[in-house]
Amino acid sequence: MNSIIRTEHAAKSYKTGEITTTALKDVSLEIAQGSFTCIVGPSGHGKSTLMHLIGGLDRPSDGKVYIGDMEISCIPNSDLARLRGKRIGFVFQFFNLMQGLTAIENVEIAMMLAGVPEREQRGRAEKLLALVGLAEKAGAKPGQLSGGQQQRVAIARALANDPDILLMDEPTGNLDSVAEAEVLDLLQTLHRQGKTVVIVTHSDEVAKRAERIIRVRDGQVAH
Amino acid sequence: MTLTKLVIKNITRRRGRFLFTLLGITIGIASFVTFMALGGSLKDEIHRETAALGANLVVIPKGSCGYEQLSILTGDQMPTNISAAEIASIRAIRGLTVVPFLAQQTAINNRPVTVSGIEPSATLAFKRWQVSQGAYFSKPDENGVVLGVTAARQFGLKPGSVVTVRGEKLPVLAILGETGGRDDATLFLSMPVAQRLFKSADKVSYAAIRVDNLTNTEGYIEKIREATGLGVVSDKQMLKSVLGIVGTVNITLQMIAAVSVLAAAFGIINTMMAATYERKREIGILQALGARRRTIFTIFMLESGFYGVIGGVTGVIAGLATAVIATPYISQNAFTTFVKGSGSGDIIDVKVIAGSILFSAVVAVVAGIYPAWRAARLTPVEAISYE
Repeated sequence: MNSIIRTEHAAKSYKTGEITTTALKDVSLEIAQGSFTCIVGPSGHGKSTLMHLIGGLDRPSDGKVYIGDMEISCIPNSDLARLRGKRIGFVFQFFNLMQGLTAIENVEIAMMLAGVPEREQRGRAEKLLALVGLAEKAGAKPGQLSGGQQQRVAIARALANDPDILLMDEPTGNLDSVAEAEVLDLLQTLHRQGKTVVIVTHSDEVAKRAERIIRVRDGQVAH
Repeated sequence: MTLTKLVIKNITRRRGRFLFTLLGITIGIASFVTFMALGGSLKDEIHRETAALGANLVVIPKGSCGYEQLSILTGDQMPTNISAAEIASIRAIRGLTVVPFLAQQTAINNRPVTVSGIEPSATLAFKRWQVSQGAYFSKPDENGVVLGVTAARQFGLKPGSVVTVRGEKLPVLAILGETGGRDDATLFLSMPVAQRLFKSADKVSYAAIRVDNLTNTEGYIEKIREATGLGVVSDKQMLKSVLGIVGTVNITLQMIAAVSVLAAAFGIINTMMAATYERKREIGILQALGARRRTIFTIFMLESGFYGVIGGVTGVIAGLATAVIATPYISQNAFTTFVKGSGSGDIIDVKVIAGSILFSAVVAVVAGIYPAWRAARLTPVEAISYE
């Protein structure tokens, strides 16, 4: 298997005063390039922590995490930020769009952070909004969009720098069934175009679409 | 999208807070600029008045302090303790041109005006005045007044008009040409008339002296002291002493201004701290999208600096407007009389403007360091998980 994400005995624990809480322990897994994977499991069992580790948002307390051939557990913060900007696209449950910006500006901001010149941003952002079916809503602020539309803007933003990996935390958790189906269809299209899609979810509907399911329970991967 | 556009959108998103924070820094910088402008014009005026006095030495009553020296330049009322005999002793010293003055104040139409008793011909030559209208005093004790151009305009007087000084009606004899100094706002009487009206017998307030040989100034000072026992200061000493007093006033004004700027700086800190808490999740999103800590730090510093620059510009405008508008209403005393004498053109100093905007920006940037550092040290997970 040509893996794009790999963990080796990854563990994560948090210390609050004298109390140490273990969120993940000894997780070793591989996710193939171009695959559609769902990470499922009960709330509070470590799914989001696992997503944070493989997305470079957090570092393991122990073990190693690789993106491609690069071990990201110990690279400097600035390199980790660059990796997140270029190789990984994040989508969150609550859309997390910047409220003061329009849909197209929300997409452009990801390009700005990756150093794309301003004159190139607009054209690329328009194409991405068209791809998610929101070309006509480019000038709308998040508050003027439905939940499904906001999530599609978030997906367009995640695609801004043409990343290899799309990492999503409950992307349909706040959507009705119609919007959920639309978003999942869009994700499947992106998957067919070669993106590696990794979704953390509770939803059976989402899990049904996945090629592979990784179950996390009590901070461990259940094989 | 650029970082600058993002910063402007962030700041203007909450308009109320933006305006109130801006108002804080505007008021701080405005008071700073007002005090600096007023203080600056004080110094300029003192230099100008010292030059306009045209004296190398000034004889003042014994034991006079800097305040009396300041009064010579401001046209403020002074004690009249120097007798005619003492003036005659000074005149007996060869090489000196001695011109005595009686410095008083009176009110015309309930407005204060400086009155100066002079020896007409000696003073005309000493000050190199030009007469623009009417005929100057023709006798040493002529009953009448000669007015500076501003005083004439202020009270609507011209040659032939009658003005009441200390209950006595006096004809206006002449209006002087513009001198650019305090003489413009002064009402001149011949010395005997002034001494009679102000009940000063044969006494005068001070004497301005020009020496024939500047290298011997110290020698002349000694001779005058020996002959009369009066106080003698050179123009340089007087300038130093008066600037010393004004410097103290300036420092006090600047300290008051600094406190208001400091208060504005805390306003910025408060606003930026609130922004870091409110936008914690947004910071997390930016980090997830690839923003480095340095970028987050820069965004917050730019926001803070933006407040400083905009607040600096609005503060300078408000401050200069206040200085120009308020100046004529400041009650007249030894210090503010200088301000009254200066026009708005003197107040607008490019150095003060540029310096104040720079100062505002620096204060804002310093105020923004801690909030920006707080924002930048958030970890992505900590920021993103914030609800």
